[in-house]
Amino acid sequence: MTPSTTPMLEVRDLALRFGSVTAFEDLTFDVGRGELFAVIGPNGAGKTSLFNVLSRAYVPTAGSVRFDGADLLRLRVSALAGAGVARTFQNLGLFGELTVLENVLIGRHHLMRSGTLRSGLWLGYARREERRHRAAAMEALEFAGIGRHAHVPTGTLPFGIQKRVEIARALAMEPKLMLLDEPVAGMSVAEREEITALVRRLHHERDLTLLLVEHDMGMVMRIAQRVLVLDFGRIIAIGTPAEVQRDERVIRAYLGEELEPALAEAPR
Amino acid sequence: MSMHTSHRRRFGVTSAGLLGLAVLAIVLPFGLNAGQLTTATFVLIAAIGALGLNVLTGYTGQISLGHAFFLAVGAYTAGVLGGNDHLTALIWLPAAGVVAALCGALVGPTALRLRGLYLAIVTIGLVFIGQHIWFNVPAISGGPGGRSFPAVAFGPFDFSAGQQLTIGGLVIDHNGLYYYLALIILAAAMLFVWNLVRGRPGRAMQAVRDREIAAAIMGVDLARTKMSAFVISSFLTGVSGALYASYLSFATPGQWSVLLSVQYVAAIIVGGIGTVWGALLGSIVIFALPAVLQSLIPQSSSGGLPIDDLTSIAYGVLIIVFFVLEPHGIVGLGRRVASLWSRIGLRPGKGGGLSQEAQSIENRSEATWAG
Repeated sequence: MTPSTTPMLEVRDLALRFGSVTAFEDLTFDVGRGELFAVIGPNGAGKTSLFNVLSRAYVPTAGSVRFDGADLLRLRVSALAGAGVARTFQNLGLFGELTVLENVLIGRHHLMRSGTLRSGLWLGYARREERRHRAAAMEALEFAGIGRHAHVPTGTLPFGIQKRVEIARALAMEPKLMLLDEPVAGMSVAEREEITALVRRLHHERDLTLLLVEHDMGMVMRIAQRVLVLDFGRIIAIGTPAEVQRDERVIRAYLGEELEPALAEAPR
Repeated sequence: MSMHTSHRRRFGVTSAGLLGLAVLAIVLPFGLNAGQLTTATFVLIAAIGALGLNVLTGYTGQISLGHAFFLAVGAYTAGVLGGNDHLTALIWLPAAGVVAALCGALVGPTALRLRGLYLAIVTIGLVFIGQHIWFNVPAISGGPGGRSFPAVAFGPFDFSAGQQLTIGGLVIDHNGLYYYLALIILAAAMLFVWNLVRGRPGRAMQAVRDREIAAAIMGVDLARTKMSAFVISSFLTGVSGALYASYLSFATPGQWSVLLSVQYVAAIIVGGIGTVWGALLGSIVIFALPAVLQSLIPQSSSGGLPIDDLTSIAYGVLIIVFFVLEPHGIVGLGRRVASLWSRIGLRPGKGGGLSQEAQSIENRSEATWAG
């Protein structure tokens, strides 16, 4: 197989158990290159646990994950960024005391080389590198529409803006695969629209594979190319939004929950 | 265009302020009596160590009470190399930093397993282990009775008591020489740390302090970052310890106690955790306090309380007051005043306040020497 036909992400028989509690099991799916792939499911279905395995925060009990043809589970957490995986956090993983620009620059840490001596002595190499990466970080901020907040301490900004900082930071990491953990959770309708548009632009304008975990069915059905539905830690459906919405088991899993109204409002 | 000039102006104000401060620091010894100059010199020497602690605790979030140990390692390296082996200060002063840094590199890995208070307790253990060694290995420490330390001497410079240097009619005595040496080293160290925390390694340290897991996922190597914080911190502390002992010229093992560590922690809390200037400002408050209290309160009228007890009480009160009211210390207070000032200054409704924030990146790196 040539690299270009290898899926970006190949998940095989993945399982995660905490003692006798099973977060998920038997997960097998591929995410193609350049795909916008969504994982949905009711509360406690195992979505965030899956994310934590993919970002190496949890070690799975069984199964394998290949990223871009290589074994993802052999990478150390801090090597993920360099390999090309970026993620955002549901409850924000920002560094509150640093400015927005500095937060985004942390995303470029793995692309920079200046160590203690070169930075401390402020040698030409460190200066040039810093200038170059500040420009790239600013570009990511502008893309996310928050350039004007660049020099504000991140912790003082409203939640909606901080979510955008997370996305800008993930973008600045120059990843091949971006994991978005509930990017519109806890947001107003207007903010949801803005983030949805931003995610869409990420997918269209940047050469990115996106894996999205989301609660907001309306958003997922509108932008995802393929959807995986988890229920009680198992895959109950996988396919295009249209296919998934017709699936008996999906409808049953969501019965009395938010799917039905969401189906009604989601455009075709 | 107008925002450009306003940035220039701010940069100008900052450089003017720094220049003024530098001139003040240089002429200060000529305005002080011998006792005050001694205090000022101790403050500058301590500020080098406090800056080291701020790298480790303030910027990287690794709470350490082991500072007394690293100060002692620096001091005894100076004692052994300069006093026993009669090497020049050009060797024993950097060596003090290097040996302390090596000890820091040995201790660093424990910080990978332990966090917060647990790390604090382990580093206290370091002080006790150190004291055990200092009391029981006379070849290093002179034993319980203490040992003498070499004065700084290199080339035409001799910092021994009673010596003096005459430059163009200006006489600089033993105290003054130590003052200027400490000033130069402190300024260099502050500049180094300032560059560091504005650049890649310092950002990584602050990310580790704020959220370790998120930092790792961003590609920050936790082990390496904590390790370099320990090494930089203990290097500066070792140099500070060597200068301190050399200036004292005599020290006993009992001086390197946990109380000394606590004074340094107090200094960065009062001055400003995670700030470059906080190390100096806090050291001024903490290490000049005994002398100031002594001069303010005549021994007879202190109600029977010795000055040492009074200063201990004052440390405690200062730590509590700053923790509760201004966690960023004196530097935090200064920032509040500055932002109040600029808000008053900006009030005549100028547009472009936002675009000023988005102002180009090079300007920013040179704009604020305020942290």
